Amino acid sequence: MAQSPSRSGQPPIQQLQTVADLLETPALARIYAYILRHGPTTVSEIIDELDIPQGTAYDYVQNLETAGLVEKTREQRPYEYDAESIALTLSADGETQTITPALIAAVARREKDEDIDVYIERHGLDGLAVALEYAYEYVDGTVNHRIAARELDLSPLEAEIILQALEPVATEYADAVA
Amino acid sequence: MTTVYIADTGVFVRCGGPNKDKFQRLRRALRQTGVSLRVPQRVYEELGGDPAADEYPSGNIPYPNGFEEGWIVVADELDYTSPLVSTVMDEARRFIANETDRDEDITEKADTALVGLAAQVLDTGQADHVVLLTTDKPAGRAAETLLPQHGFDDRIEFRYVSVEYLETITADEFR
Repeated sequence: MAQSPSRSGQPPIQQLQTVADLLETPALARIYAYILRHGPTTVSEIIDELDIPQGTAYDYVQNLETAGLVEKTREQRPYEYDAESIALTLSADGETQTITPALIAAVARREKDEDIDVYIERHGLDGLAVALEYAYEYVDGTVNHRIAARELDLSPLEAEIILQALEPVATEYADAVA
Repeated sequence: MTTVYIADTGVFVRCGGPNKDKFQRLRRALRQTGVSLRVPQRVYEELGGDPAADEYPSGNIPYPNGFEEGWIVVADELDYTSPLVSTVMDEARRFIANETDRDEDITEKADTALVGLAAQVLDTGQADHVVLLTTDKPAGRAAETLLPQHGFDDRIEFRYVSVEYLETITADEFR
Protein backbone atom coordinates (compact mmCIF):
# COMPACT_ATOMS: atom_id res chain seq x y z
CA MET A 1 0.00 0.00 0.00
CA ALA A 2 1.34 3.41 -0.84
CA GLN A 3 -0.05 6.70 0.36
CA SER A 4 1.23 10.05 -0.53
CA PRO A 5 0.23 13.53 0.52
CA SER A 6 2.23 14.61 -2.49
CA ARG A 7 2.03 18.04 -3.97
CA SER A 8 3.64 16.82 -7.16
CA GLY A 9 0.29 16.22 -8.77
CA GLN A 10 1.30 12.63 -9.47
CA PRO A 11 -0.80 9.71 -8.33
CA PRO A 12 0.95 7.48 -5.76
CA ILE A 13 1.93 4.48 -7.87
CA GLN A 14 3.36 6.63 -10.63
CA GLN A 15 5.28 8.55 -8.01
CA LEU A 16 6.59 5.29 -6.59
CA GLN A 17 8.39 4.68 -9.88
CA THR A 18 10.18 8.01 -9.68
CA VAL A 19 11.06 7.53 -6.04
CA ALA A 20 12.49 4.10 -6.87
CA ASP A 21 14.71 5.78 -9.46
CA LEU A 22 15.84 8.33 -6.88
CA LEU A 23 16.79 5.59 -4.43
CA GLU A 24 18.70 3.64 -7.06
CA THR A 25 20.53 6.54 -8.66
CA PRO A 26 22.63 8.52 -6.18
CA ALA A 27 23.43 11.29 -8.69
CA LEU A 28 19.72 11.80 -9.39
CA ALA A 29 19.06 11.84 -5.65
CA ARG A 30 21.82 14.41 -5.12
CA ILE A 31 20.30 16.71 -7.71
CA TYR A 32 16.83 16.39 -6.22
CA ALA A 33 18.13 16.96 -2.68
CA TYR A 34 20.10 19.97 -3.85
CA ILE A 35 17.17 21.64 -5.61
CA LEU A 36 14.97 20.97 -2.61
CA ARG A 37 17.41 22.68 -0.23
CA HIS A 38 18.67 25.46 -2.48
CA GLY A 39 16.00 26.02 -5.09
CA PRO A 40 15.04 27.89 -7.15
CA THR A 41 18.27 27.09 -8.92
CA THR A 42 19.69 26.71 -12.41
CA VAL A 43 21.25 23.64 -13.96
CA SER A 44 24.61 25.37 -14.28
CA GLU A 45 24.60 26.04 -10.54
CA ILE A 46 23.91 22.33 -9.96
CA ILE A 47 26.78 21.36 -12.26
CA ASP A 48 29.15 23.68 -10.36
CA GLU A 49 28.02 22.73 -6.88
CA LEU A 50 27.65 18.98 -7.29
CA ASP A 51 30.40 18.31 -9.78
CA ILE A 52 28.10 16.30 -12.03
CA PRO A 53 28.75 16.12 -15.81
CA GLN A 54 26.73 18.64 -17.78
CA GLY A 55 24.87 16.13 -19.96
CA THR A 56 23.89 14.03 -16.95
CA ALA A 57 22.70 17.09 -15.04
CA TYR A 58 20.43 18.29 -17.87
CA ASP A 59 19.03 14.79 -18.41
CA TYR A 60 18.37 14.24 -14.73
CA VAL A 61 16.71 17.61 -14.18
CA GLN A 62 14.52 16.83 -17.17
CA ASN A 63 13.62 13.44 -15.66
CA LEU A 64 12.72 15.06 -12.37
CA GLU A 65 10.60 17.66 -14.15
CA THR A 66 8.76 15.01 -16.18
CA ALA A 67 8.11 13.11 -12.97
CA GLY A 68 6.68 16.24 -11.41
CA LEU A 69 9.23 16.35 -8.59
CA VAL A 70 10.73 19.61 -9.79
CA GLU A 71 9.17 22.43 -11.74
CA LYS A 72 10.37 25.39 -13.74
CA THR A 73 9.94 28.58 -11.79
CA ARG A 74 11.49 30.79 -14.48
CA GLU A 75 10.37 30.22 -18.02
CA GLN A 76 13.15 32.15 -19.76
CA ARG A 77 16.77 31.07 -20.03
CA PRO A 78 18.49 30.37 -17.80
CA TYR A 79 15.62 28.27 -16.52
CA GLU A 80 15.24 27.98 -12.78
CA TYR A 81 13.88 24.95 -11.00
CA ASP A 82 12.35 24.33 -7.62
CA ALA A 83 11.48 21.00 -6.03
CA GLU A 84 8.40 19.55 -4.43
CA SER A 85 8.82 17.80 -1.11
CA ILE A 86 7.79 14.16 -1.10
CA ALA A 87 6.61 11.82 1.59
CA LEU A 88 5.73 8.37 0.36
CA THR A 89 4.58 5.97 3.02
CA LEU A 90 4.85 2.28 2.25
CA SER A 91 3.48 -0.62 4.24
CA ALA A 92 4.35 -4.26 3.78
CA ASP A 93 3.97 -7.17 6.15
CA GLY A 94 2.92 -4.90 8.96
CA GLU A 95 5.98 -2.67 8.66
CA THR A 96 5.65 0.91 7.60
CA GLN A 97 8.35 3.15 6.24
CA THR A 98 8.16 6.68 4.93
CA ILE A 99 10.44 7.83 2.14
CA THR A 100 11.26 11.44 2.94
CA PRO A 101 13.54 14.03 1.34
CA ALA A 102 16.00 13.37 4.19
CA LEU A 103 16.17 9.68 3.31
CA ILE A 104 16.78 10.56 -0.33
CA ALA A 105 19.51 12.97 0.78
CA ALA A 106 21.06 10.18 2.87
CA VAL A 107 21.02 7.80 -0.10
CA ALA A 108 22.51 10.56 -2.25
CA ARG A 109 25.53 10.64 0.06
CA ARG A 110 26.43 7.01 -0.53
CA GLU A 111 28.52 8.01 -3.55
CA LYS A 112 30.72 10.25 -1.42
CA ASP A 113 30.48 8.52 1.94
CA GLU A 114 31.44 4.89 1.83
CA ASP A 115 30.23 4.32 5.40
CA ILE A 116 26.66 4.94 4.20
CA ASP A 117 27.25 2.75 1.16
CA VAL A 118 28.47 -0.17 3.30
CA TYR A 119 25.56 0.28 5.70
CA ILE A 120 23.04 0.08 2.82
CA GLU A 121 24.81 -3.04 1.50
CA ARG A 122 24.54 -4.65 4.93
CA HIS A 123 21.14 -3.46 6.12
CA GLY A 124 19.24 -2.28 3.04
CA LEU A 125 17.38 0.96 2.50
CA ASP A 126 14.88 0.03 5.20
CA GLY A 127 17.76 -0.30 7.62
CA LEU A 128 19.05 3.09 6.55
CA ALA A 129 15.61 4.67 7.05
CA VAL A 130 15.50 3.34 10.63
CA ALA A 131 19.08 4.46 11.33
CA LEU A 132 18.14 7.94 10.09
CA GLU A 133 15.41 8.12 12.73
CA TYR A 134 18.05 7.39 15.34
CA ALA A 135 20.36 9.98 13.81
CA TYR A 136 17.78 12.70 14.58
CA GLU A 137 17.75 11.58 18.19
CA TYR A 138 21.55 11.39 18.24
CA VAL A 139 21.78 15.00 17.06
CA ASP A 140 19.17 15.99 19.65
CA GLY A 141 21.07 14.20 22.38
CA THR A 142 18.18 11.90 23.15
CA VAL A 143 20.01 8.72 22.21
CA ASN A 144 23.63 7.53 22.16
CA HIS A 145 25.33 4.90 20.02
CA ARG A 146 25.11 2.32 22.82
CA ILE A 147 21.35 2.44 23.19
CA ALA A 148 20.93 2.64 19.41
CA ALA A 149 23.14 -0.45 19.05
CA ARG A 150 20.97 -2.50 21.40
CA GLU A 151 17.73 -1.36 19.81
CA LEU A 152 18.98 -1.87 16.25
CA ASP A 153 20.89 -5.06 17.04
CA LEU A 154 24.23 -3.67 15.88
CA SER A 155 27.59 -3.51 17.60
CA PRO A 156 28.19 -0.19 19.39
CA LEU A 157 31.00 0.51 16.91
CA GLU A 158 28.81 0.01 13.84
CA ALA A 159 26.05 2.11 15.44
CA GLU A 160 28.47 4.97 16.09
CA ILE A 161 29.80 4.77 12.52
CA ILE A 162 26.39 5.08 10.89
CA LEU A 163 25.13 7.70 13.35
CA GLN A 164 28.16 9.88 12.63
CA ALA A 165 27.74 9.32 8.89
CA LEU A 166 24.07 10.40 9.04
CA GLU A 167 24.66 13.28 11.45
CA PRO A 168 25.00 15.93 8.67
CA VAL A 169 21.72 14.80 7.05
CA ALA A 170 19.89 14.69 10.37
CA THR A 171 21.21 18.15 11.25
CA GLU A 172 20.25 19.59 7.88
CA TYR A 173 16.76 18.12 7.86
CA ALA A 174 15.97 18.42 11.58
CA ASP A 175 13.72 21.43 10.94
CA ALA A 176 11.77 19.47 8.34
CA VAL A 177 10.90 16.82 10.93
CA ALA A 178 10.12 19.06 13.87
CA MET B 1 46.72 21.49 38.37
CA THR B 2 46.27 18.12 36.74
CA THR B 3 43.71 17.42 34.10
CA VAL B 4 42.75 13.96 32.98
CA TYR B 5 41.23 13.49 29.52
CA ILE B 6 38.77 10.64 29.09
CA ALA B 7 37.89 9.65 25.53
CA ASP B 8 34.93 7.73 24.17
CA THR B 9 34.48 5.45 21.15
CA GLY B 10 33.07 8.29 19.03
CA VAL B 11 36.36 10.21 19.17
CA PHE B 12 38.14 7.38 17.38
CA VAL B 13 35.34 6.76 14.90
CA ARG B 14 35.59 10.43 13.92
CA CYS B 15 39.29 9.85 13.28
CA GLY B 16 38.73 6.81 11.05
CA GLY B 17 38.39 6.51 7.33
CA PRO B 18 40.83 6.57 4.46
CA ASN B 19 41.83 10.15 5.15
CA LYS B 20 43.60 10.04 8.49
CA ASP B 21 44.14 13.81 8.78
CA LYS B 22 42.01 14.09 11.90
CA PHE B 23 43.81 11.16 13.50
CA GLN B 24 47.20 12.72 12.78
CA ARG B 25 46.05 16.09 14.10
CA LEU B 26 44.85 14.56 17.35
CA ARG B 27 48.04 12.54 17.66
CA ARG B 28 50.22 15.60 17.10
CA ALA B 29 48.27 17.70 19.63
CA LEU B 30 48.61 14.99 22.28
CA ARG B 31 52.24 14.22 21.65
CA GLN B 32 53.20 17.88 21.77
CA THR B 33 51.70 18.20 25.22
CA GLY B 34 52.60 14.75 26.51
CA VAL B 35 48.94 14.12 27.36
CA SER B 36 47.39 10.65 27.14
CA LEU B 37 43.74 9.97 26.51
CA ARG B 38 42.28 7.50 28.97
CA VAL B 39 39.69 5.12 27.64
CA PRO B 40 37.42 3.09 29.91
CA GLN B 41 37.73 -0.70 29.52
CA ARG B 42 34.26 -0.71 27.94
CA VAL B 43 35.36 1.68 25.25
CA TYR B 44 38.42 -0.41 24.55
CA GLU B 45 36.14 -3.42 24.09
CA GLU B 46 33.81 -1.47 21.79
CA LEU B 47 36.68 -0.38 19.55
CA GLY B 48 37.95 -3.88 18.95
CA GLY B 49 34.81 -5.87 19.39
CA ASP B 50 33.28 -6.05 15.91
CA PRO B 51 35.12 -7.57 12.95
CA ALA B 52 32.16 -6.58 10.71
CA ALA B 53 33.00 -2.93 11.35
CA ASP B 54 36.20 -3.39 9.33
CA GLU B 55 34.06 -3.17 6.20
CA TYR B 56 33.49 0.51 6.95
CA PRO B 57 36.16 3.09 6.15
CA SER B 58 35.45 4.71 9.52
CA GLY B 59 35.75 1.32 11.22
CA ASN B 60 39.32 1.18 10.09
CA ILE B 61 40.81 3.16 12.95
CA PRO B 62 44.54 3.09 13.61
CA TYR B 63 43.98 3.41 17.37
CA PRO B 64 46.44 0.59 18.23
CA ASN B 65 49.22 3.00 17.18
CA GLY B 66 48.02 5.33 19.91
CA PHE B 67 48.47 2.59 22.51
CA GLU B 68 51.92 1.72 21.20
CA GLU B 69 52.98 5.35 21.27
CA GLY B 70 51.45 5.88 24.68
CA TRP B 71 49.00 8.67 23.91
CA ILE B 72 46.02 6.39 24.45
CA VAL B 73 45.91 4.31 27.62
CA VAL B 74 43.29 2.00 29.03
CA ALA B 75 42.02 3.39 32.31
CA ASP B 76 42.00 1.49 35.61
CA GLU B 77 39.09 -0.84 36.19
CA LEU B 78 36.14 0.88 37.77
CA ASP B 79 36.01 0.33 41.50
CA TYR B 80 32.38 -0.53 42.11
CA THR B 81 33.07 -0.89 45.84
CA SER B 82 33.65 2.85 45.98
CA PRO B 83 30.41 4.37 47.27
CA LEU B 84 30.91 7.46 45.13
CA VAL B 85 31.55 5.55 41.90
CA SER B 86 28.57 3.25 42.36
CA THR B 87 26.26 6.08 43.42
CA VAL B 88 27.25 8.28 40.51
CA MET B 89 26.84 5.41 38.06
CA ASP B 90 23.36 4.64 39.39
CA GLU B 91 22.41 8.27 39.10
CA ALA B 92 23.89 8.45 35.60
CA ARG B 93 21.83 5.47 34.60
CA ARG B 94 18.62 7.19 35.71
CA PHE B 95 19.76 10.46 34.13
CA ILE B 96 20.48 8.83 30.75
CA ALA B 97 17.21 6.88 30.81
CA ASN B 98 15.41 10.14 31.46
CA GLU B 99 17.29 12.11 28.77
CA THR B 100 16.65 9.41 26.19
CA ASP B 101 13.11 8.73 27.31
CA ARG B 102 13.95 5.05 27.73
CA ASP B 103 13.27 2.54 30.42
CA GLU B 104 16.13 2.31 32.92
CA ASP B 105 16.57 -1.35 31.99
CA ILE B 106 17.79 -0.44 28.52
CA THR B 107 20.83 1.36 29.90
CA GLU B 108 23.87 -0.70 30.78
CA LYS B 109 27.16 -0.29 32.59
CA ALA B 110 28.92 0.71 29.37
CA ASP B 111 26.62 3.73 29.14
CA THR B 112 27.70 5.03 32.51
CA ALA B 113 31.35 3.95 32.44
CA LEU B 114 32.53 7.38 31.27
CA VAL B 115 30.75 9.13 34.11
CA GLY B 116 31.92 6.49 36.61
CA LEU B 117 35.52 6.85 35.50
CA ALA B 118 35.34 10.64 35.77
CA ALA B 119 34.04 10.28 39.33
CA GLN B 120 36.76 7.78 40.22
CA VAL B 121 39.58 9.93 38.83
CA LEU B 122 38.38 12.96 40.80
CA ASP B 123 37.57 11.02 43.97
CA THR B 124 40.96 9.30 44.15
CA GLY B 125 42.75 12.61 43.64
CA GLN B 126 44.34 11.57 40.34
CA ALA B 127 43.19 14.84 38.84
CA ASP B 128 41.76 18.21 39.77
CA HIS B 129 39.90 18.40 36.50
CA VAL B 130 38.41 15.92 34.09
CA VAL B 131 37.64 16.61 30.45
CA LEU B 132 35.26 14.17 28.81
CA LEU B 133 35.73 13.86 25.04
CA THR B 134 32.69 12.12 23.64
CA THR B 135 29.87 12.10 21.10
CA ASP B 136 27.56 10.63 23.72
CA LYS B 137 25.55 13.71 24.62
CA PRO B 138 23.36 12.03 27.27
CA ALA B 139 26.47 10.75 29.09
CA GLY B 140 28.24 14.10 28.72
CA ARG B 141 25.28 15.94 30.20
CA ALA B 142 25.00 13.36 32.98
CA ALA B 143 28.62 13.99 33.97
CA GLU B 144 28.23 17.77 33.88
CA THR B 145 25.04 17.64 35.92
CA LEU B 146 25.82 14.93 38.47
CA LEU B 147 29.45 15.42 39.46
CA PRO B 148 28.95 18.99 40.73
CA GLN B 149 26.27 17.56 43.03
CA HIS B 150 29.00 15.49 44.69
CA GLY B 151 31.29 18.40 45.41
CA PHE B 152 33.11 18.53 42.08
CA ASP B 153 32.00 21.98 41.02
CA ASP B 154 33.82 23.34 37.98
CA ARG B 155 35.97 20.24 37.78
CA ILE B 156 34.29 18.38 34.93
CA GLU B 157 33.94 19.51 31.35
CA PHE B 158 32.11 17.76 28.53
CA ARG B 159 33.44 18.47 25.04
CA TYR B 160 31.32 17.25 22.16
CA VAL B 161 33.70 15.82 19.57
CA SER B 162 32.33 17.10 16.27
CA VAL B 163 34.05 16.90 12.90
CA GLU B 164 34.99 20.59 13.23
CA TYR B 165 36.44 20.01 16.69
CA LEU B 166 38.87 17.40 15.39
CA GLU B 167 39.62 19.30 12.19
CA THR B 168 40.85 22.28 14.17
CA ILE B 169 42.31 20.59 17.24
CA THR B 170 45.72 21.78 18.39
CA ALA B 171 47.95 21.28 21.42
CA ASP B 172 46.17 24.25 23.06
CA GLU B 173 43.20 21.99 23.60
CA PHE B 174 45.30 19.95 26.07
CA ARG B 175 47.09 22.72 27.96
